Amino acid sequence: MNKWHRIKKTDLQKYVSRLAEKWEVWVPRRVDEKWEFGIYDGAQGLDLPESIIDVSLKNLFFPKRRAIATYDENSKWSMQPVDPEQRPRIVMGLHPCDAAGIEYMDRVFLQSEHKDVMYKKERERTVLVGMLCSEMGDGCHCTDRGLTPHSTSSMDVAFVSEGGWYYFKSLTDKGKRIMESKYLKETDESPTAKEWPAGKYASASPEEFMEMYDDSIWHELSDICLTCGICTYACPTCVCFLVTDEKFKGKGERVTVWDSCQLQSYSRMAGGQNTRKTPASRVRNRTLDKFAYSHLRYGRISCTGCGRCVMVCPLKRSFPQLGARLSERIREKKKKRTKVRAESKED
Amino acid sequence: MTTIELVPKPATIKKIIDESRDVKSYVLEMNESLPMPALPGQFVEVSVQGYGEATFAVTRKSKGGREFTISVKRIGHLTKMLHRAATGDIIGVRGPYGNSFPVDDWKGKDILVIGGGIGLAPLRPVIDHILLNRKDYGSLEIIFGARTPDDILYKDDLQMWESDKSILLHTTIDVPFEGWNGRVGVVPAVVRDLGVKPDRRVSIVCGPPVMIKFTAAALRELKWPDNRIFTTLEMKMQCGIGQCGRCNIGEKFICKDGPVFSLNQIPEHAL
Repeated sequence: MNKWHRIKKTDLQKYVSRLAEKWEVWVPRRVDEKWEFGIYDGAQGLDLPESIIDVSLKNLFFPKRRAIATYDENSKWSMQPVDPEQRPRIVMGLHPCDAAGIEYMDRVFLQSEHKDVMYKKERERTVLVGMLCSEMGDGCHCTDRGLTPHSTSSMDVAFVSEGGWYYFKSLTDKGKRIMESKYLKETDESPTAKEWPAGKYASASPEEFMEMYDDSIWHELSDICLTCGICTYACPTCVCFLVTDEKFKGKGERVTVWDSCQLQSYSRMAGGQNTRKTPASRVRNRTLDKFAYSHLRYGRISCTGCGRCVMVCPLKRSFPQLGARLSERIREKKKKRTKVRAESKED
Repeated sequence: MTTIELVPKPATIKKIIDESRDVKSYVLEMNESLPMPALPGQFVEVSVQGYGEATFAVTRKSKGGREFTISVKRIGHLTKMLHRAATGDIIGVRGPYGNSFPVDDWKGKDILVIGGGIGLAPLRPVIDHILLNRKDYGSLEIIFGARTPDDILYKDDLQMWESDKSILLHTTIDVPFEGWNGRVGVVPAVVRDLGVKPDRRVSIVCGPPVMIKFTAAALRELKWPDNRIFTTLEMKMQCGIGQCGRCNIGEKFICKDGPVFSLNQIPEHAL
């Protein structure tokens, strides 16, 4: 079992600067009042937020626009695959809900007959140094989703803040590579184990969600949703994409770009047919995908409880609330059925 | 060089066949002697550089297995560009993808093929397979419907099937048309008229969504069980490998879990 190491908070930046001499180090940075991941350059200092990082790190592994091949526009065919990036890097300061998002992306892109080689290379070149949370923020609801603020799935190193120290522990061989530092000292002490509050939203099983397919509730739920798709872009596990050709800086590129099942164009076919034309059908698709289809496909629901959809929704009618409303309806229906059964027995 | 599954490989157009007023078939061969091991019912993603890519059923394999055919109805940007292509042009292809018709399970059975318009394209390899292995199968009955005589495709094949004593072929057009002396009526109505019983048959149905839906209803009226009605759902697909998310019906991806399904494998709303 790997032992805990600890580092003085005041030494963290020195440690990261040393790492940055050899590695590309990605850390949370504040840009225009929002937190997002960027390459550490020392000049901006280092501040690791305990709270959610506004922009998920999905973009680091599955970029919003990703060239997969280039071609000469003047030729009929000259498409050549691009070389995936191979430089080793460290991503430090992600939280458990984002690490869980990566674990889910692994299921989509790597547990497949046709692996996504570019995603695979991004994963292989990265050491994930996750920061366990000390508290849960307003929108946080990972404990509703089978996680806790101390879950470490897919992290190579986990660390947590306590007093004047950060406690580090390597979890994989990859993680060990960054643990050798004069600033990190082995310790017999370990950070305090915490109790976390139970989930706050009503929930139901994937099977129960599946039974709601033909329910009229989707119209009710889509009435309070703009189907603008912003929740899908913010979500760490929404990885739908479009494959298209673009002219970029004088050359042609075949690219994958993020797409959203909330947009009408997403399912529109050449000739105009559309399998999900109505907002209700699109809201149903996303909700069931998060809470049921994902489980049936990959053995795990795809909501990690990060709460970004709550933060970004222009109507502030959050996605977890939709899920909760749906779960309540499932309960109501069940109660009704039980009541009918009880009454028919009495007869 | 890294092989990226989503990046197509070059293929050469060997031959172009004008099938109907808006459908052309393309006989293709992968460059660099790459194989195209498509089974009946599988599909490929075809690219025109600069215009993206779209999904097409492999509608025929040549005997040597090197050449394969796709049929393209002119309907969007990419198909418009494909219709402008010439013999010798190079386009991009990746695949084959998807499952296939379980033709081995059907040995000894009678086969009913029901195609509507371009929907005959993914079914033709099944007919080819049966004709190539004729002794393994019972009777072969084909119902093919087109909107008008001008929309009838695979005319050479229809002629060949017509003259083949081991095939019962019914060609129909949707509404009366001057000069057309054959059968008139939409496919589901023809299925009802013919009253083909399930007996020891399996049926495969493909066409526009509305045709599949009503043909399935007609077959059910004739007491066909859902596990003997097969269809191929050539809906909006893009990546072809179960990742881009677009083609799902519930938890299933048409591109990966399909495109071939028997009706008992898909929910009613999929039709």
